Amino acid sequence: MPAELKTVGKAELRKDAWDKVTGRAAYVDDLPREGVLVGAVVRSPHHHARIVAIETAAARNVPGVVAVLTAADVPGSKTFGPLVQDQPALAFDVVRHMGEPVALVIAQSKEAARHGVAAVQVTYEPLPAVHDPVAALEPDAPRVHSGGNLLTRYEISEGDVATGLAAADVVIEATFTVPRISPAYMEPESSMARWNDDGTLTVWVSSQKPFEDRHAIAGVLGLPEDAVQVCSAVIGGAFGGKEDSGLPVLAALGAWATRGTVRLINNRHESFLAHPKRHPARLHYTLGATREGELIALKAVVHLDTGAYASYGPAVGGLLTEMLAGAYRIPHVQVETNVVYTHSPFSGAMRGFGSPQAHFAIESMMDMLAHELSLDPLELRRKNALRPGDRLLTRVTLDRTAESLPLILDHLAAARARLAQKPPAPGRVAGVGIALGMQSMGLGYRVPDDSTNRLALAPDGSVLLYIGSPDLGQGLATAAEQIAAEALGLPYDAVRTVDVDTSVSPNGGVTCASRMTYLIGNSVMLAAQGLIAALLDYAARTLNVPRDALRYEAGAVITAAGERVALGEFASRAADEGVPLVAEATFSFPYPEETTPKHLPIGMPHVMLVFGGQAVRVEVDPELGTVTVTDVVAVHDVGQVVNRAGVEGQIEGAVAMGIGYALYESMRLKADGQWVDSFTEYLLPTAEDMPQIESVILEIPEASGPYGVKGVGEMGLVPTAPAIANAVFQATGVRAQAIPIAPEVIARPLGG
Amino acid sequence: MKPITVTLTVNGQTRTITTLPNKTLLYALREDLGLTGVKDACGGEGECGACTVILDGEAVNACLVLIGQADGRSVETIEGLAQDGELHPLQCAFVETGAVQCGFCTPGAILAAKALLDRDPSPTDDAIREALSGNLCRCTGYSKMIAAVRRAAEEMSHAR
Ligand code: FES
Ligand code: FES
Repeated sequence: MPAELKTVGKAELRKDAWDKVTGRAAYVDDLPREGVLVGAVVRSPHHHARIVAIETAAARNVPGVVAVLTAADVPGSKTFGPLVQDQPALAFDVVRHMGEPVALVIAQSKEAARHGVAAVQVTYEPLPAVHDPVAALEPDAPRVHSGGNLLTRYEISEGDVATGLAAADVVIEATFTVPRISPAYMEPESSMARWNDDGTLTVWVSSQKPFEDRHAIAGVLGLPEDAVQVCSAVIGGAFGGKEDSGLPVLAALGAWATRGTVRLINNRHESFLAHPKRHPARLHYTLGATREGELIALKAVVHLDTGAYASYGPAVGGLLTEMLAGAYRIPHVQVETNVVYTHSPFSGAMRGFGSPQAHFAIESMMDMLAHELSLDPLELRRKNALRPGDRLLTRVTLDRTAESLPLILDHLAAARARLAQKPPAPGRVAGVGIALGMQSMGLGYRVPDDSTNRLALAPDGSVLLYIGSPDLGQGLATAAEQIAAEALGLPYDAVRTVDVDTSVSPNGGVTCASRMTYLIGNSVMLAAQGLIAALLDYAARTLNVPRDALRYEAGAVITAAGERVALGEFASRAADEGVPLVAEATFSFPYPEETTPKHLPIGMPHVMLVFGGQAVRVEVDPELGTVTVTDVVAVHDVGQVVNRAGVEGQIEGAVAMGIGYALYESMRLKADGQWVDSFTEYLLPTAEDMPQIESVILEIPEASGPYGVKGVGEMGLVPTAPAIANAVFQATGVRAQAIPIAPEVIARPLGG
Repeated sequence: MKPITVTLTVNGQTRTITTLPNKTLLYALREDLGLTGVKDACGGEGECGACTVILDGEAVNACLVLIGQADGRSVETIEGLAQDGELHPLQCAFVETGAVQCGFCTPGAILAAKALLDRDPSPTDDAIREALSGNLCRCTGYSKMIAAVRRAAEEMSHAR
């Protein structure tokens, strides 16, 4: 199959890149400024407090201030939220985390807005706060919500863990701690909303889910959904963090209240405090195995800090639970995952969605077990790796995708041998570590998981792709265009994506879950068939011949006589006649009977998985305890590659994020009671921190994927942090059970 | 606060603006001159490099320059990089190597790289990494950005 492909798999250049290298690309803050009011948010300085009074009169009198809005001004639902409607548009009665929006100031200039914010007087009565997910479950812990602090608990038991652990020759036990991570996309959250004369709203967003934003806005404003139009501007990165309607809702509220146009841009501090983070977690694992290294039993208790509001917390907890045992067959498993409210900025969706946390634990455990048994960590993994037909703890049966695991391990073995040859720099010690990774695709069984997309023939014979889900910067539009071009037999340049606009675009679904190229690709292939059918119908009518006398081939209609009539001729004619040549198609994520469990131990098991593994070489300065990652070999099965530079870009960017997770990043509460909330203290990897990254891309086709495509968006991050911790252990003998790995953890035991 | 009047050369053209003295070059470019290719990713705290412009030949964070400090000086922004409708080799190389994803860091990174190539036409990889080290990118992992700068340097050395 791949040999016949003309566009899929070719090194096509992203079309949006030209605007991005010239500064023309318009993100929300670049949209015209003329007549646009500025919004600014009054935020809670407390982790937890009762709101006694909000005094806005002084702020209203500030020259240039147009309106000051509080929860009392919200005309519709006071709260919103994707899974649990617990998130106030503007806080009322209490604030539950620092940075929570309390009032919204609308002004004619930034200066006036700033003065307005300063002039709003909020009287708080501070209340005790809890920031630790284990402490938050104590009976006398301060309550975040009246229903208690446990948002969700998942309990799964497969086999018999007690018997399994009793039968094991060796049992190891450890607790792992992983930090709160900011998605830290470079473009902070931003939104602009305009009240239209006809009583409707137009809202520009930097969001992964314009259709759900529309729903949230309509709910909070008490408007019908069709009175709200949401348009996607160019998006400066998202990584899951832009699955939150907070800013679009507030911008829309401002526009509604002032009957004007309002722009609202978070600064970096606000982005840290008031937008979703990766869940910090504590994971306690007990793993039993035979002397030969066969895994028998795993018991795990996990506490996830979901912060003050639910966001996607319940779903993250679910997926973490599914990924808990990693890519291994373990007959006896018992899991308890607690998703717990605290008075911290809320956690939500972020690239990997629970899998990176789980993998840090299980992949560290595998190396600890190997050490305990004096086995090679790689051979231990080979012995226990999942195989096709194995049943996961979710009772999902693995399909052929697990065939990639032995291949991945072969590549890792070769990479490890090669990297181990490199001598360390003077004064340094070196080590090579490996880790495997597993990531699901799609939203999970029984969760609506559809994507609708549309192809339309333009009068000039080119094809417009009305994509129903925004491109976040990862290159989704390019992949979709390549697939559309392939399906229509057209050159890549003949297909152009139209940005998402809820008033014209079909609903493609939220851009998330490593599923978009797969999902949109399938939907676009179906739409291509529809478009060809519509074209042939029209051509038959126009040429006055029977429909089955015609066929379509690579941009032309072929008549019975073998004559080729270019698509463009019909396109311009149909346009003149006002006949639309359009096709729309919906693809729904498949849940095959053979792999989907009949009885569900967990709400929404994922049945499609992707696998990968990474070998990492580090050098450690034993005196300072500093770790430098010098090399990463990233082996990932992505199915058919649509665009190699795009796939590599996903892997390289994810590896960078994994390095940050392992070594630098943590949004922690400081001794002074303030959060780390700026790039001064929250360190992201820079160009100087990055190793050589070699991507080994396996293309084992997925039968249900468009041209064999799987997914790659999240996977590249999953093995990186544990592989680094394992490499540090190889180099130093120090096992880091908490990330980011603190230099003093390494330096001290080494006597530096 | 009284507005001040500042005259500076922007992409070869003399521009005069009257604005408040506490305004940074970043926001003067974005708001007063409409040059929105220069970005703010850290809240104007000098930590992200998204606001990089070339000031008298040197890459600087425009968020750390008060507009008054730019008086009489010469600024290059991403909008001025193309010459006579032809893109700078760095711009082409960024597109062609796949160094652009979301693009929010791209103008700043290209300008940081241009300042490097202007003074060192054939930089080592380490020099490229160092020149880009102030430009945060969350999407690409930098590999392709570094490759793009290398490629542009080669391209320009052939053209010379
Ligand atoms: S805006 Fe971040 S360095 Fe200037
Ligand atoms: S391309 Fe998105 S931040 Fe660099």
